[in-house]
Amino acid sequence: MRQITPQDGFAVVTGAGSGLGRALAQQLCAAGFTVVGTGRRAEALTETAALCPPGKFDPVQMDVADFDAVAQGFATMIDRHGPLALLINNAAVYPKRDILDETPDSFWQGIAINLGGVYACTYAALQDMAPRGTGRILNVASYADIAPLPASAAYSVSKGAARILTRALVADLADRFPDIVISDWLPGALATDMGIPDGLAPQDAARWGVKLALMRDPSLTGTVFERDTELLPPRGLKGKIKDAVLMRRQTPRRL
Amino acid sequence: MTLDLETTWDVLVIGAGMGGGTLGRALAEAGQKVLFVEKGSAGLRSERNGLSEVFVPEARAARGLWPDPLHVSLDGIDSSFYAPLGSGPGGSSVFYAATLERPERHDLDDLPGQPHPTGGWPVGYDQMAPWYDAAARLFHLHGTPDPLSPETPLPLRTPPPAHPAEAALTDSLRAAGLHPYRTHTGIANVDGCETCLGKKCPRACKMDGRSAGVEPALASGNAKLLTGAEVTRLITQGDRIAYAEVRIGSQTHHVRARRYVLAAGALHSPRLLLASTSENYPQGLANRSGLVGRNLMLHVDERFALWPKRGTPDTGATKGISFRDFYHREDMRLGSVQAMGIRASYGEMVHFLKRMLALRGLSRFDLLTRPAAAIGQTLLGHAHLFVVLMEDFPYAQNRVLYDPARPDRLAVSYALTDELRARRRAFRKALRKGLRGHRHLFLSMTPELNWGHPCGTLRFGHDPDTSVTRADGRAHDVANLWVADASFMPTSMGVNPSLTIAAHALRVADLMLKDST
Repeated sequence: MRQITPQDGFAVVTGAGSGLGRALAQQLCAAGFTVVGTGRRAEALTETAALCPPGKFDPVQMDVADFDAVAQGFATMIDRHGPLALLINNAAVYPKRDILDETPDSFWQGIAINLGGVYACTYAALQDMAPRGTGRILNVASYADIAPLPASAAYSVSKGAARILTRALVADLADRFPDIVISDWLPGALATDMGIPDGLAPQDAARWGVKLALMRDPSLTGTVFERDTELLPPRGLKGKIKDAVLMRRQTPRRL
Repeated sequence: MTLDLETTWDVLVIGAGMGGGTLGRALAEAGQKVLFVEKGSAGLRSERNGLSEVFVPEARAARGLWPDPLHVSLDGIDSSFYAPLGSGPGGSSVFYAATLERPERHDLDDLPGQPHPTGGWPVGYDQMAPWYDAAARLFHLHGTPDPLSPETPLPLRTPPPAHPAEAALTDSLRAAGLHPYRTHTGIANVDGCETCLGKKCPRACKMDGRSAGVEPALASGNAKLLTGAEVTRLITQGDRIAYAEVRIGSQTHHVRARRYVLAAGALHSPRLLLASTSENYPQGLANRSGLVGRNLMLHVDERFALWPKRGTPDTGATKGISFRDFYHREDMRLGSVQAMGIRASYGEMVHFLKRMLALRGLSRFDLLTRPAAAIGQTLLGHAHLFVVLMEDFPYAQNRVLYDPARPDRLAVSYALTDELRARRRAFRKALRKGLRGHRHLFLSMTPELNWGHPCGTLRFGHDPDTSVTRADGRAHDVANLWVADASFMPTSMGVNPSLTIAAHALRVADLMLKDST
């Protein structure tokens, strides 16, 4: 399977100031990549930089919900580092608010970061990737939309919509730019600020994330991986019978 | 782009496809100031999509596809579908398989024993031959000469080596007494070539109206390309076009040139002339003959699956084999046979079956196509798909329709004739006999019209009563209008039209340069 190498260009990890984003950035740097890490807090990004080999991590303070800042930030980093090989849309917020306290403004702010930010960063990355016809976009996703938890409206809605966004991107781009590989990754519940105390260590999850992010086989476009295993699209009974008859039952790929 | 619109250009080329691109390049390289006006969008050069059935017009346009469906009245049965038509630099040719075959002498000339349906083209085979050679060089043609042809071969480059399945299939066809040769293909085979047959090529490798036409024209510094711009009317003064009405977004501009070349394709070019009525031209521009839009021809495709001999290594689909053993048989004009470069896949089968049902108004049985295709695919297995291109003859009643109330509606009316059915039967019979010893299966039950090969709707000729343009491509009754797309062809020939479109475009460009009136 074709791999992305540091010769292909640099990587962007959004939300690189903490948790999973920090671990992803750290491991990509260790693999030899120049990584631009974005985040809202400069100090947090400096802490991430300290964990990376010197000169490999370029912190860019940026709020993904500030669309002008995103456009400008990407233009500057592409100027500085050359072709953009990989974008990991990781930045997200999980504001836990009861629906009676979730004002339209606070709700919209969550959507702007978790959905608008993914779109803004993807759009900016495509300005560089589409003319070259190659690139990799990995969206960090969640199951939050399937059975929304209480006090999680903005998160559930935005993360669900972000998965639809991946499918919409595939509908628009896959046939025209088969070498721009776009897919979703569900890291599961992690032991991070946003996650749960007994979740998986972000460093462990990031190992899968980095491996998946560096795979650029066009057949990965539109796939969803949960932790280290591909989630195959659900098949109805008819589909299952047909697959069995035609002897083409699919087995999920593993990282 | 306002600057471009205010200039008076030497030549305004309407449509930047195979004909317009090739002609525009020749003129621009000779120093003429050329403006291509192209309805489609420029898109990105890195795009690699093929044809698509997506029905969102904006999504079609973004892919360089004609945005709207083609409405067909076939033997009185109405249907509409997406024809394999491009819209954008290179036109439909960016989606073609780069098969650039020269016709036979009898396709153009009236010969003893091989009478021509129209008495012969106004420009004979020998006159056209140097232009075929020039087009072959321009499009980097590779292949091997047809062993059956008595003519001087085209200048062909050596094709890439045949892969084992291709070689084995060639040998067994030869053993059956047939005369296969390597298909004449316009691919430069640059580094990283992915043989983009049927889809957009991201490099200047597949030679099409864009890579061998528009782009070199722009590189000459003498041409400009205006995309997303649709010519809606040609406005005349006396017997000359004074300006073109060009719609860009919601704005209409007047663009002026000394000369106008119509190259929007055989389905669109006549519609523009029919839309350009005036006091002087009440029936439409250049339509004193009443033939604008008439004599629409399409090839009849006959697809068949051919199994290689047992034990042949399976090395993928073959595109590289053609033969002309049945081109002209028993006093009948039949046509050429070519490998399609695709395997009998499930998706292909579904597509064929759906199209077949739709054309007969039987779309309600669509549900059956999937299981049928699944069975078909299993049965067909490793078969190679071939297509027979059978010539279609000109009939005035087969034509492009134009309705002033719905100017954007792309519609044609076409009737299958008994003569065509008889030739098709003869072709199938001859082929069945010729393929004896090879397992094969015909895949079309009715004549399948090739909507990617429309031609003939602005035919050229010497007589202004029976043709739209003169032999040099200039309209009989408009002093500064030329036609340079497949519309000019009086007959459809037994081969793909692209090389002939390019050769004609080069010849017309040369005559335009020589005659500056």
